[in-house]
Amino acid sequence: MSDQKTSHSKRIMQKQKVVHPDRIMSYFLANIPVLIIVTISGLIYNIGMLAGPYFEGRLAQTLYDIIGGRSKFSDMVQIAFFYIIAILIVQAGRAVKRFGVRRFANNVSSSMRRNLYNSLVHSDQQKLQKEGLGSLLTKAISDVDACSEGMRKFTTEIFDTGVVMIAYVCMLVHYDFRLAILSCMFTPIAYLAADRLKTVVTRANAEYKKSAAALSGRTMDRIGNALTYRVYGREKNRDEAYERSLSDYEKKSAKANLFESSMAPLYDAIAMLGTVLVIYFGAKNVQGTGWTAWNIAAFTTFLSCFTKLATKVSHAAKLFNSVQKAAVSWKRIKPLMKDSVEDSFDPDKVPVRPQGVEFSDVTCGYDGEKMLKHISFEAKPGQIIGVTGGVASGKSLLGRVLLGEVPYEGAVTIGGKDLGSMTEREKLEAVSYSGHDPELLSTSFFDNISLGSDIDVDRFLQMTCLDEDLKNMHRSADWPVGEGGAMLSGGQQARLSLARALAHARSILVLDDPFASVDKVTETKILKEIRREFPDRTIIIMTHRLYHFPEFDCVLYLHNGHGTFLPHDKMLEKEPGYRALYEEQAKGGDYDDI
Amino acid sequence: MTYNEKKNEHTHLKKAFAGVIKKNKGLLIGLIALIVASVVASLIPPLVLEQAVNRLGAGKGVSLTLALWYFLFIVISDLLESLQNAGITVFGQKITHGIRSALCQKLSRLPAEYFHRNESGKTASIFTNDGDTIDVLYSDGVVSMAADLLKVVGILIVIYTRSLGLGLLVTAVTPLLFWFTRTCQRRSNRANLENRRAIARVNGHVPETLRCIRMIRVFHAQRHMENVYSGYIKESYDAVDRSNVIDSIYSPVILLTQAAVTAAMMIFAAGGNSYRALFGISVGTAVAMMAYVNRIFSPLENIGMEIQNIQSAAAAIDHIDTFLEEPEWQPEITEPKKTDEIRFEHVDFGYQKDRPVLKDLSFDIKKGELVTFAGRTGAGKTTVFRLLTGLYEPDRGTVNLAGLDPCALSQEERRRVIGYVEQNFASVPGTVKDQITLYDSDISNEEIDAALKLAGLKDVIEQLPDGLDTKMSERLFSKGQLQLLSIARAVVLDPQILLLDEVTASLDAKTEAGVIRALKSSARGRTVLTISHRLSEAIGDARIIEIGT
Repeated sequence: MSDQKTSHSKRIMQKQKVVHPDRIMSYFLANIPVLIIVTISGLIYNIGMLAGPYFEGRLAQTLYDIIGGRSKFSDMVQIAFFYIIAILIVQAGRAVKRFGVRRFANNVSSSMRRNLYNSLVHSDQQKLQKEGLGSLLTKAISDVDACSEGMRKFTTEIFDTGVVMIAYVCMLVHYDFRLAILSCMFTPIAYLAADRLKTVVTRANAEYKKSAAALSGRTMDRIGNALTYRVYGREKNRDEAYERSLSDYEKKSAKANLFESSMAPLYDAIAMLGTVLVIYFGAKNVQGTGWTAWNIAAFTTFLSCFTKLATKVSHAAKLFNSVQKAAVSWKRIKPLMKDSVEDSFDPDKVPVRPQGVEFSDVTCGYDGEKMLKHISFEAKPGQIIGVTGGVASGKSLLGRVLLGEVPYEGAVTIGGKDLGSMTEREKLEAVSYSGHDPELLSTSFFDNISLGSDIDVDRFLQMTCLDEDLKNMHRSADWPVGEGGAMLSGGQQARLSLARALAHARSILVLDDPFASVDKVTETKILKEIRREFPDRTIIIMTHRLYHFPEFDCVLYLHNGHGTFLPHDKMLEKEPGYRALYEEQAKGGDYDDI
Repeated sequence: MTYNEKKNEHTHLKKAFAGVIKKNKGLLIGLIALIVASVVASLIPPLVLEQAVNRLGAGKGVSLTLALWYFLFIVISDLLESLQNAGITVFGQKITHGIRSALCQKLSRLPAEYFHRNESGKTASIFTNDGDTIDVLYSDGVVSMAADLLKVVGILIVIYTRSLGLGLLVTAVTPLLFWFTRTCQRRSNRANLENRRAIARVNGHVPETLRCIRMIRVFHAQRHMENVYSGYIKESYDAVDRSNVIDSIYSPVILLTQAAVTAAMMIFAAGGNSYRALFGISVGTAVAMMAYVNRIFSPLENIGMEIQNIQSAAAAIDHIDTFLEEPEWQPEITEPKKTDEIRFEHVDFGYQKDRPVLKDLSFDIKKGELVTFAGRTGAGKTTVFRLLTGLYEPDRGTVNLAGLDPCALSQEERRRVIGYVEQNFASVPGTVKDQITLYDSDISNEEIDAALKLAGLKDVIEQLPDGLDTKMSERLFSKGQLQLLSIARAVVLDPQILLLDEVTASLDAKTEAGVIRALKSSARGRTVLTISHRLSEAIGDARIIEIGT
């Protein structure tokens, strides 16, 4: 099921690849087929909009003629039939156009999102976390909707406002160009008046928003500090202040609403002034005393076209607004739009070959600070090395050196090759890592372990004893683990993270604190499994729990920035600090034994 | 009362609602008049048009006056409609105002325990979000629906007076179209809901990626993450597509139906004498009827939306009513005693019935004494303070605060009897002065000045751009200075008793010294109770009262 979904979505990804994702035109170009359909259906619909008024006029005229005995019943049936057919075609065009435009917006938003995500997931870790690229990209992704919505509105309005207005104007001019010019005179005035009013409306809106913010602040304060006010006897006073805020909010919101809603009728009223002229002069036309000879059909058609045109003009402003809004969003997104990274490399497919690790005289730390000094040790294939030390002794740092995240001096070699000269791909082929932050995805057990690769997940669930947990919870591996593994206990999270590392184990396995909150029995069982399953791997375990250290091949003990590398027995003799740690735990004084 | 009954009755909310109606009877009547006027006005323009066309049909001209009437009625109907909308908004605001007032008044009657039990953000959301939903319920729900229903009925009546046949035709089509509208709205809502869920997953995937970026890099899972993301986008894409199909089909179907009704009317009108009886209309009437048919469907669509609004307000109504029904704080007041001591007599107390915190606790504290309550964490030191400030009442026994029951202290008395320096300073919106007075304008400048001196804050305040009138921001002060503000707030009305929580718990040694200096000078001449051993040691010789064993 999940495989199916994945392959399906892969297909879409390929289909909607956008070249030059940083140009807005690219998104129009990528959707040419949809846009052609939109154009054709849009023209049908918007030019066809004239059919309504035209046929309605004809219907009225025919009725007039029938009553006057000049036409037959069959004429009416015929016109009514054509009327319905015309409306059917026009409305079908409208449905297709509407859907097409929305499809287009949906496509644009999907490809923009994918593109931004692609650059997010392939960005450098440092840049994401330290330089704030992560939050920048997150914001950009939230801008995508505004942007695609703007593009949708733009495309819609080109037809619904642009084309249709031209069509109406042509129709009016065709019937009587003098009356057309005369009656349309008021429209620009209405537009200007609306523009004037806009500042008043904006001001009222700003005041309303301010009052709303004040009210919500008061609400938070009244509730959040309720007990402070109670202890100090200020509740009555605060209730009165809240009441004042409520009244202010009520007043401002009513005012803003009144301005906002009074704009449209005022505007319409001015635009509709033209109807007086249409009716008066149009009637003259019908009587044969006007500029053009009209019948009743022409009269009603002209009037209804004019009414529709007058109300349409206000949309011109909407078109402008939506484009402006979209432009603001696009400006933020544009610099982050990069050609998508295509990378089909799968380290799981490369065969594992046994390799060791050697640190010789390594000094390392972040930002020039030397947190570990002169560390030397060697781990060979088939060995388990235990790394321990007090809190903040640098255990985790050591692991991250192998990931290439920490600058270091000295030499680190993997399979005899210098770490510094290895390519990213070679590193991926050599090292697997599980950090003490489990970094779990909110998806299923299965997905967390397989990460989309073809892996025998059950085996690793069993190795980490998670199969028993699942059985006890009456759940299967398809069960989602919740955000960051929230549905799991600490021990379960650690083991799931470990299972993932084992499932993708390369020659060198770095396990940082793999048994946090895992009980002793389970820990023993898991270690045994690891030894059996991975006899030829090099395993480095960082932990503060030492019961299994006697069984490990060697121990690296970190203290005061230095490291001692010895087998467990010798370490006990040589390092009193290590001895103290070990003995305290041997006594049973372990603090996180559950 | 069982939960179910509670759910169905909403008595408290109804009471609040009835209160608003009573207070705004005039507005409500005005609003109803406005709605009726607006509906009537919207019916007139087609009738004027009918006159005009009929005159033309009879070969007569149309006077400028008639043309002006047509225009005038359009303007009037537009104006009335926007007035009606504004009126509905005002009314909705009055309702929410009334409900929010009721909610706010409830706050003072809630036991302190409510605030300890409930996150303030959640309670605030009842005031803000649920309050807004109630606004929508009345303005864009109930009232608008009444207006739209009236409009539909009005149009139907006019149609019936002109053409019985068309009336019957429209009456037959209307329920069908309404059913179609509701079906579309329901489906599109379902799709929108699915889309919102999918979008939540799409959006959630981004922070998750950032959180797990090391793992993604180490296991080279970028491609997998992209595929998962694409999967979520696909879910959203499909849901949007589904809702788009409905959206695209809906109004074309409605308009086609309109056209069909118009065509049928015209055919019948043109038909033989047998139909004339039903559809006997003149040309003018036909034009007017076309206009009415075009108008009847948009209120139908609105009614569908309004039903939606009313349905979705159910949860908000429930939240509000549950809140209003929370049990209230009604402490039993003990008789005042003639003593100036603080006295606990055989006090039992527990936050839950079966888990007592204090058991048979008795002690006396003389006026002017310095006392520390000692005991391990959870022994009930803070609880003693809560009983002393009257936030809670004992289950058994009595608490006496210099002759008074702390629960019976009036709001005016409180600050003169006890000053309580909390563990963390709670800043309030307003100026720096408000932090000290807590908006009490009766507190004189001299009193504020004295408190600032005691707290050692005078210099700090003087350096602020507007002194005491500077707008409060926690960034203006260091952590220690915020605690000094808290001390000034406690002592500004010169209380006899000073309660000190773990005031310096989160301060470093240097800052702590400054706070202790302020406490020392503030402690002079007062009874001082603390629960921090370090603090009382620093202030002077303290008597220790053990709590819990």
